Amino acid sequence: MPPISNLNTADKNLVTRRSAILGLGGLGVFGVLGARLYQLQVLQAENYRTLSDNNRFNFNMLLPERGIIRDRFGMPLAYNRQNFRLVMIPERASDVNKTLDRVSAISPLSDLQRRRIDKDIRQNPNFVPILIKDNVDWETFTALNMRLHALPGIVAEAGQGRAYPENGVFSHVLGYIGRAGDKDIASDNDPLLKQPTFRIGKTGIEAATEKRLRGASGKLKVEVNARGRIVREWPDPETRATPGQDVWLTLDAELQEFAAKQFATEDEGDDSGGVCVVDVITGELRTLLSMPTFDSNLFVSGLTQSDMDRMNSDPKRPQFNKAIAGGYPPASTFKMVVMLAALESGLIDPAGEVFCSGKVKLGNRDFHCWKRRGHGRMDMRDALKQSCDTYFYEVAEVIGNDAIAGVARRLGLGQSYDISLRGAITGIVPTDGWKRERLGTGWRTGDTYNVSIGQGFVLATPLQLAVMTARIANTLDAIVPNLVINQTLPKFEPLDFDPAHLAFVRDAMWSVTSEPGGTAYRPQPFGSEFAVSGIEMAGKTGTGQVRGISKAERLQGIRQNSKLPWKLRDHSIFVGFAPYDRPRFAIGTIVEHGGSGAVRAANISRAILGEALRRDGLGAPGNSESKALD
Amino acid sequence: MFTRSGLVRNSSPSQGGGLASKLYEIYWLLPTLAGVLGLVGVIMIFAATDGVWRLGALQHFLRVGFAGLIMLGVALINIRVWYRLAYPIYLIALALLIGVEFVGVEINGSKRWLDLGITRLQPSEIMKPAIALALARYYHDLPSDKVSHILGLIGALILLALPMSLILRQPDLGTTLLLGTTGVAMVYLAGISWRVISLASIFAVVAIPLFYVYGLKPYQRARVETFFDPSRDPTGASYHITQSKIALGSGGVSGKGFMRGTQRQGEYVPENRTDFIFTVIGEEFGLVGGLLTMGLYMSLIGVCIWLSVQCKDMFAKLLILGLTTTFTLYIFINLAMVMGMAPVVGVPLPLISYGGTVILAVMGGFGLILSAHLHRGVELPRSG
Repeated sequence: MPPISNLNTADKNLVTRRSAILGLGGLGVFGVLGARLYQLQVLQAENYRTLSDNNRFNFNMLLPERGIIRDRFGMPLAYNRQNFRLVMIPERASDVNKTLDRVSAISPLSDLQRRRIDKDIRQNPNFVPILIKDNVDWETFTALNMRLHALPGIVAEAGQGRAYPENGVFSHVLGYIGRAGDKDIASDNDPLLKQPTFRIGKTGIEAATEKRLRGASGKLKVEVNARGRIVREWPDPETRATPGQDVWLTLDAELQEFAAKQFATEDEGDDSGGVCVVDVITGELRTLLSMPTFDSNLFVSGLTQSDMDRMNSDPKRPQFNKAIAGGYPPASTFKMVVMLAALESGLIDPAGEVFCSGKVKLGNRDFHCWKRRGHGRMDMRDALKQSCDTYFYEVAEVIGNDAIAGVARRLGLGQSYDISLRGAITGIVPTDGWKRERLGTGWRTGDTYNVSIGQGFVLATPLQLAVMTARIANTLDAIVPNLVINQTLPKFEPLDFDPAHLAFVRDAMWSVTSEPGGTAYRPQPFGSEFAVSGIEMAGKTGTGQVRGISKAERLQGIRQNSKLPWKLRDHSIFVGFAPYDRPRFAIGTIVEHGGSGAVRAANISRAILGEALRRDGLGAPGNSESKALD
Repeated sequence: MFTRSGLVRNSSPSQGGGLASKLYEIYWLLPTLAGVLGLVGVIMIFAATDGVWRLGALQHFLRVGFAGLIMLGVALINIRVWYRLAYPIYLIALALLIGVEFVGVEINGSKRWLDLGITRLQPSEIMKPAIALALARYYHDLPSDKVSHILGLIGALILLALPMSLILRQPDLGTTLLLGTTGVAMVYLAGISWRVISLASIFAVVAIPLFYVYGLKPYQRARVETFFDPSRDPTGASYHITQSKIALGSGGVSGKGFMRGTQRQGEYVPENRTDFIFTVIGEEFGLVGGLLTMGLYMSLIGVCIWLSVQCKDMFAKLLILGLTTTFTLYIFINLAMVMGMAPVVGVPLPLISYGGTVILAVMGGFGLILSAHLHRGVELPRSG
């Protein structure tokens, strides 16, 4: 046994020795591993920290808050309001279609919306929230919230939406916003446009002042995981989005609203038409209204097909901005142009009289005066006061169409103004050249006759009529209308008419509204409080024919407008300014198929002008600023 | 200190004695260190799963506790029993490996598991302690002058080659190499002459390239190739190593703080609950945490070697050292892989990585080590 035991001891020592060698080797390996760890975590740490940051950080675009559109007193006309929206995160939805069907049962989704949602889901990674419905009303929102447990993947969240609080009276001016289309993206390389929740101005001021309203995108540092999902946000004040600037309009919200109310009728809804109130000195538009209106909010929340159909089939064309894009024959309101042209030509003596028998024969055609029995003897002032057509036929024939057209242009007709709104038309001031180009036939005296009473080829918008009136009232400057308040006041060209001639025209316009026998005579046009302050107005009525009047009709005794179908009634037109002696505001009003200009348009204009003066601190002692200062 | 107390105890308890006194005599430093590492695992799995107990940390805790009980049970069983069971256990493990070959469950393209209904068993894990038992028994029985003899060598090689070839077929390159290295280490420890060692080394130089070309599956070769040239496939296989290195490197000296690892939060390192858990340690606790963890492992290994020195029998010594080698290799391969020094092979960090079988196998192994030490006074039969 001893040898075995010896052997055992020898073995033992051998094993111990060899295990010591192995152990040392193991220690060495641990040393190498420790050194490697040191290399990674100390020597190269900076490098790996950068790599780690590159891994985790992404920059998400922050959307700027859109600027607010305000009226001249700062009242918001378009602002951002928290709204409720539904989004879906497709990866959390077990069955996307079934979930959407359930949502649809509570808050209907149109086929168009479904297609848009499907497209968005296809084009984005499935953890990106897809907008299902924007501007969900509170009731639907709560109803959906209660059923969220049955709608996997649906998230109800609060976002920013555009709101237009002034129930539609600014719709034509403001326009609306929407998601950028392919064309917008092609013409504007701002990456904001590609953001699915970003909205840009589509029409109106929203589109025209887009650059100011939009602001600039910011960056948000976000930590993302290996699959790109956001783990954490790292807000940094330096990279916040720059909010858009506010845009202040020259408009007076309350006056605009007041104006809109004047278009209401007892039985036929709102009358159709347009009205502009312009500051005679500065050219600032206080009112720019097209009636009837529509609700811009509908465009924000997504128009339904039935809304669209209703709007498109309405004969009063609510979407059409008649104030700047509606061309109407100015009718008798054009007579100031002819009158001024006559005075400027030096060919006509304003005291000279023309005998009106009710019609003038030109070749084998009769040109009628609106007063069938005729006005009798008329001088220039009386002719305007009573709107005698015959007088203007005669005068126009003497001075010729070119003189009229020249003055018309200098008064602002036949051209469009840059008031930051798209769609303004130039209207028409017809000349020989224009007619040849357009119709291929030469100018005839009959055309001059028609032009002299603002009919025939002449077309003007309510805005142009207001500008024309404002220039007459201003005397010196060829004012140009403006809608957006800018840093600098616009500089105007001189008007360059003989001030005495303009004074004569204004006096004649005063007689229209202020002398018995004038077509728009009212003893107290703005109510009693203005009579006290001695504030008077001047103006001119117009009745635009929309149809030829046949001989037979004339013989039968014609024109009971209110008995005609709406579409065949005359346009009612009025232009005016006030106060007469110290003009502040000029107005141009057209009521489509509103009948005689002496009634509908004149009433509306008087009310609006009176309100404009009142709001400007004139007239009413209670509201007067000067009173407050005393 | 330990020597003296060991010697003092040596006189009476070696013959067995009561259960309580046996429990008292267990070398408690070893279970304590293993338990501490298990708790490190619980904490790091908790972090890796973003603070959700039920995603692994809780299970790991329970498993460590359960495996700890198994360890104590194994430790209390007389070393004679383990000596006698050495070959049967090896044969059972071999049978299970053959079973895997025929009725194994395939996951991710490799057949490594047997479905037992309640749980899945990975026989290759059982083979790790089994091969240590078998080789320890083999060399215990083999007279020392036969160790370097060709016949003695062939016996050991057969014991080793059978399970290795079966595991390589699963395929599981990591475990195969681990098993082979353990075997080679044991043969070396058994006292094989340096002459044979040098011959074997020359043979290995020739054999390894041949094995690489003919013995490996294409995906295994791809892993090795990516390791040597990470730019070959930056988003595919090398992604794992790259992200792992970023996690460790960005941790720096003191780490990003517990639960603050951004690589972890961003889920950039796959498998960071299991094989790549060291990246969580390195990222959140930095070099300090990494070295402390390695220090714990080194202490554990040192304790094991120290226990082997105290044993007299060849069987006990080789068993302890064989098991310790396996355990150490786990750590080396895993850390080298995580630090980008070895190709990605599926080797967990023992006691810390999530995974039931590994904990059971490792703790069972520690049980055997404790048993060998506890019963170091027991005489084992020795032939020849």
